[in-house]
Amino acid sequence: MTTQKNTDDRIALLQGTLDLLILRTLLLGPCHGQGVARSIQRQSEEVFFVDHGSLYLALQRLEDRKWISAKWGVSENNRKARFYSLTLKGRGQLVEKTSEWERLTKAMGLILGGCAGPSGEEA
Amino acid sequence: MFRRKRTNDDFVDEIKAHLELEAEEFRSKGLSEEEAHRRARVAFGNVPAAQERFRMRNRAPFFDNLARDINFAIRQIVRNPGFAAVVTFTLALGIGASTSIFSVADAVLLRPLPYPNPQQIVRIWEQLPNGHQPNLAESNFEDFLAQNNTFTSLAAYDYGMASISGGSEPVRVNAAAVSSGFFPTLGVQPFRGRLFAADEQRPHGTPAIIVSYGYWQRYLGGASDLSKFHLDLEGGSYPVVGVMPPSFDFPSGVAAWISRELDPPSPSRTGHNWRGLGRIRDGITVGQARANLSAIARRIRDQYGTQVDLAAAAVIPLADAIVGDVRIALITLLGAVGLLLLVACANVAGLLVARISARRKELAIRGALGAGRGRMIQQFLAESFALSLAAGVMGILMAAGGVRVLPAILPANLPRQEGISLNLTVLLFALAATVVVSVALGLFAAWRAGGSDLGDALSAGSRSQAGSSASQRLRRLLVVGEIATTLVILLGAGLLGRSFLRLVSISPGFRQENLITMEFSLNTPQGQDGTDQQVISRQIRLLDSIVGRLRTIPGTASVGLAGALPVAAGDNLADGLFLIINGQKPPANFDEFGRIAKNRSQTGLAEYAVASEEYFHTLGIPLIRGRMFGEQDDMNSPHVAVISESLARKRWPNQDPIGQVIEFGNMDGNLRPLTIVGIAGDVRASGLDRPPSPIIYVDYRQRGMNANSTPTIVMRSTAPAGEIASAARGIFHELAPDVPVKFSTFADDMGGWLADRRFLLLLVGLFACIALIIAGVGLYGVVAFFVAQRTQEIGVRMAIGAQRSDVLRLVLGEAARMAAFGVIIGVVASLAISRLLTSLLFGISATDPLTFIGVAVLLSLVALAASFIPAYRATRVDPVTALRYE
Repeated sequence: MTTQKNTDDRIALLQGTLDLLILRTLLLGPCHGQGVARSIQRQSEEVFFVDHGSLYLALQRLEDRKWISAKWGVSENNRKARFYSLTLKGRGQLVEKTSEWERLTKAMGLILGGCAGPSGEEA
Repeated sequence: MFRRKRTNDDFVDEIKAHLELEAEEFRSKGLSEEEAHRRARVAFGNVPAAQERFRMRNRAPFFDNLARDINFAIRQIVRNPGFAAVVTFTLALGIGASTSIFSVADAVLLRPLPYPNPQQIVRIWEQLPNGHQPNLAESNFEDFLAQNNTFTSLAAYDYGMASISGGSEPVRVNAAAVSSGFFPTLGVQPFRGRLFAADEQRPHGTPAIIVSYGYWQRYLGGASDLSKFHLDLEGGSYPVVGVMPPSFDFPSGVAAWISRELDPPSPSRTGHNWRGLGRIRDGITVGQARANLSAIARRIRDQYGTQVDLAAAAVIPLADAIVGDVRIALITLLGAVGLLLLVACANVAGLLVARISARRKELAIRGALGAGRGRMIQQFLAESFALSLAAGVMGILMAAGGVRVLPAILPANLPRQEGISLNLTVLLFALAATVVVSVALGLFAAWRAGGSDLGDALSAGSRSQAGSSASQRLRRLLVVGEIATTLVILLGAGLLGRSFLRLVSISPGFRQENLITMEFSLNTPQGQDGTDQQVISRQIRLLDSIVGRLRTIPGTASVGLAGALPVAAGDNLADGLFLIINGQKPPANFDEFGRIAKNRSQTGLAEYAVASEEYFHTLGIPLIRGRMFGEQDDMNSPHVAVISESLARKRWPNQDPIGQVIEFGNMDGNLRPLTIVGIAGDVRASGLDRPPSPIIYVDYRQRGMNANSTPTIVMRSTAPAGEIASAARGIFHELAPDVPVKFSTFADDMGGWLADRRFLLLLVGLFACIALIIAGVGLYGVVAFFVAQRTQEIGVRMAIGAQRSDVLRLVLGEAARMAAFGVIIGVVASLAISRLLTSLLFGISATDPLTFIGVAVLLSLVALAASFIPAYRATRVDPVTALRYE
């Protein structure tokens, strides 16, 4: 059985974060779209819900920007699939975006932590 | 490295592969084949949507959404037919009127002349030191022709009314005498037959005539064999050698062309009798051509000194010369119609603003549901596009009607008007106007719809109008703009109208009512001199008998005879130098005339008119002093002259002109001196907008009709013009069977003269009226909305004791504020713009205060009237209902 969580607990991806997650996933090696989706969902412990349509468009967008490249291949269970892999440019972007994200979360944490502390009830 | 663009199919394949992989995964968890596939599809979501998004990723989705938007737009239009009708009709009026006027401008101003390389064809004049640009004197033309190095060909031509018989019936038409360079300059070939041969273009050569397509069709039956036709033109017989193509119409209205060189040359350097035409060589500019001819002109002047009057040459492209003064009038019309279109657009913009306020909730919901701003802009573009397209189609239909109606009101002297049609250029103009209007309105609407107050709409509750004060402000602004623009058009119409009134109220110096005119020519038999006494006697006898018979037509009050009509025929009176020879020996020949003429104290300038005594009675020109022509004046008695009052005042300011002896034989070839016997009232012979002409009248019984006269009978009668014409036709047929006569009424002749001014006034006035109505409707809409918006407030005011007059004041005050702003802006703009009209005005300045005040008052009254209905409605508000009013 699938272990789909209650929809209330799932979080729609923030704009722009999907690109980062794709790049991060592909760092582990070439992968097809379905694998990327599965991987993001699993690694986020099913918190993130990846809209498949959006995913493929994001893949296409990254490919258009030449951050990733793609070619048709055969999957582990002998199915035809389009495999994506990180380009050199993509690697550079991943480093940059990751540090950007870390700075963002740190800043968010500082603000949210600072407010939520004493008067968390009111939030 | 070039990567091929990824295809749609490739993307579809990838999604298919994805679904397979997903299903595989579900299957591995133990689901059935079918269930696994279903789950995979569910997990993916909307496959077609993803595919569409893939397709759309790199382009503006504009066109793909367009169909949907137009569909939606049409539904909107159907849902609000009233709004759509008003918008479409308003825009259609603007587009239709602009397109109609553009079709005129296209035919008259823009379209190239129908000759090969028309830009090389120019008209040529002599340039005198005093600024005048007369036609060419024969010998000067010959020098231009022989010495220039900038023209491939030069031509001299002249034309005028002439009688042609030999066709199915004799007619009076325009005929031209043209030099050998004429047809090569224009670069046209005949439709039938040939152009003139060399033998037909030399003195005493073989006569030949070329006729227009129209004449050939109408009077020669379109016969293909031309050899059997010989036409009689003013006493000469000419075989027809050619027919020009239907499109050839130069000079305008000419029905026949003969060769100028058939007449022996008359070597004059001051008789400016020939119109000049030329074709400039490749690569030569008009300026270079002018410099070239001017250099020749200076050489002529150096050589002949005071015997010539030219100082340089004037060269103007033929297209400009043909259009001439009409350009400014047409540009004025285009300006007026452009302003009208602007008023129409402003009005529609105001309506859109109102509608957008009404649709704010819908827009807010769509915004909340994720419709992007771009998407909303598209939506509005589509809607305004659909409306404008409908308006464009309607406008083109209106223009098609306009193009049909226009010829009826176009002044006859508007050149090239036969070319007015709804052709491709005009349709493209209509299309361009439609597109510009639709895009402008669409963007405007989208800008309004995307306005910042949109978000409040949802929370504004049912009183959504409260949030739209910004919209109302904008509508007010638009109405102010409409009023200002309307004022500019109205002012133009007002200035033109006042000029027109001034013109028609000017007394031409004679009574114009119930006058019938008959114009004809008396052929001098070939081989006889037109100045021969016997020829003149015969002529006079014939004219006397015609006039005598015409007098017997019932209803006739008087019948006068003259050598030209004043005003109507305008410059048909020839002018020239006369000599004052009191006591001296009159010149025996023209050389002597020329010597005496060098003494300025002995010369004067006047127009020459042959007339009968009864001419003065018929036209009602009063005798100021002295006597008229009388029975005692005949060929053998001393020749007499009557002069006009202004000539008497100008030439003999401190003397009595009566009894002075003058010599004006240069006009009619008769050197017998004239004794001034009377002074007649002034006549504005060359136009109502010109000062009265100095005229010397001579007695037709003494001088006869001659080269400078066109015999014209004027009849004052109470009988209908048609009856008189048919009776007169019978008399002419009996007494002078070969003489074709042109019948007209003086009112028609005068009307023709005023027609261009009337036309301009009519159209600008019409545009002003339409603009006024549109602006009035716009103002009404805003005030009505103002009242609707304030119904509750008004109710409260009335509930606490406000009088109806207070309410009226409140609403009318709102209207008056807008009107006042509009009028002030309009007046300021008009002050800047109206001087462009100066050359079209007569007797008033472009800043005529009375017109400004009148127009401002008229506009204010219309504004008040437009706002009175909603204001009155406001006073009828029932406080109880109003307080519940949502």
